Amino acid sequence: MLKITNVHKKYNDNEVLKGVDINVAKGDVVVILGPSGSGKTTLLRCINFLDHADQGEMEFDEYHLQMHSATADEVRKIRQKTAFVFQNYNLFQNKTVLENVTAGLIIGRNIEKNEAVDLALKALAKVGLSDRVNFYPSQLSGGQQQRVGIARAIAVQPDVILFDEPTSALDPELISEVLGIIKQLAEEGTTMIIVTHEMKFAADVATHVIFMADGNIVEEGRPKDIFQSPKEERTRNFLRRVLPQVEYNI
Amino acid sequence: MRPFNPQFILDVIPNLLPFLWVTLSVVLGTVFFGSLLGFVLARAKLSQKPLYCWLADGYIYIIRCTPSIVLLFIVFYGLPKFCLEVFDMDINGYEKIFFVLVTFTLLFAAPISEVMRSAYEAIDHGQYEAAVSIGLTPWQAFYHIILPQATVVALPNFGNSVIELMKEGSLAYTIGLVDLIGKGQLIISQNYGAYALETYLPLAFIYLLLTLGVEKSFLRLEHAFSRQKKAA
Repeated sequence: MLKITNVHKKYNDNEVLKGVDINVAKGDVVVILGPSGSGKTTLLRCINFLDHADQGEMEFDEYHLQMHSATADEVRKIRQKTAFVFQNYNLFQNKTVLENVTAGLIIGRNIEKNEAVDLALKALAKVGLSDRVNFYPSQLSGGQQQRVGIARAIAVQPDVILFDEPTSALDPELISEVLGIIKQLAEEGTTMIIVTHEMKFAADVATHVIFMADGNIVEEGRPKDIFQSPKEERTRNFLRRVLPQVEYNI
Repeated sequence: MRPFNPQFILDVIPNLLPFLWVTLSVVLGTVFFGSLLGFVLARAKLSQKPLYCWLADGYIYIIRCTPSIVLLFIVFYGLPKFCLEVFDMDINGYEKIFFVLVTFTLLFAAPISEVMRSAYEAIDHGQYEAAVSIGLTPWQAFYHIILPQATVVALPNFGNSVIELMKEGSLAYTIGLVDLIGKGQLIISQNYGAYALETYLPLAFIYLLLTLGVEKSFLRLEHAFSRQKKAA
């Protein structure tokens, strides 16, 4: 469904992505792991054109485009097929929870208001926030805000949802409520690409794990293989450092 | 020395008030056109293209360095000459208020562009990214998400600039515009310079009321716009 090849990205002289390929099929849950600065987030942002790759090719269903020279129209089409969940939620502060979720439908897709509200309420029910629809983001806890962020993403019924460290800004006790929802989405067959540092969660939901370091994909495969018998030294080192700290139940 | 004449103050006010609308037209017209130009300048300053940025910076710098009264005379004498030589168009006969509006639009745009730019930058860019990521166009993201929030941020400074403009606008009499101050000057000369104090005092009072009005209106607007914020 989504295939990107040879993505390069430089910030000034700092090469963040050095030729990355990803292939995502419908229903896949791809989890990207790796130390800070390995380019995980940049890769995700390039897929949604929030950052512009310097080089790279994208095939997304019927669309085939060069990532560095994508036109505004192509970018819009790809964005209509994707949604993004941000590390710090990025909710619209001047809009209620409901309006946050309907914005992508009413403004972005010209869907009629009644229908949009229906879709939004369904999405909000899914993340367990039916009782908060008229609240403003500033009145919600971090976990609730991130759940609105997820509702906003699923309401537009994208082909793939991109999660950029969705729990990194949350207090430990709020993490599980967000991970629980993502896990539920995974069970329903939602296609997702997730950047996370929650190893147990990653092992749990992933159908495919990618380990990145220094702008390259070091190793990828089924979660069982990566977590239990990683082939590369770099992967082993990383897992040794992060695995003992995982302590969340979902 | 002639004694102070309080009665004159009461008598002069009805003669001044009919010219209030001239003063107000200058302010309202300038706010409208100046905001448009200011928006363009702010857009240029935020542009990724260095040339636009540089042009806007240059403009703002030059305007900042020019006293209002100097610019007023440059426009008043220079613009007709410029139009005649370059476009072969004679605008010498245009109403004085035209030149006043041009001058203050040029002046007002500079600070207002900075007000707009800083307000835009005060809104977290992440909200813009979130908006485009769920399928809004960049313009929709700006119009529906960023602009309403930036407006709230900009209002207090915008109000200040309007008040400043209103007071600077009193310079317009120097090219012969008959607004509140212009009329006041005429009254003073008709009395051979007598009763200057009795004319300026009511003028000061009228400006005080105007400023109060602008201030209160902007406070109102601010409250209306930031209702969502208060819900927090």
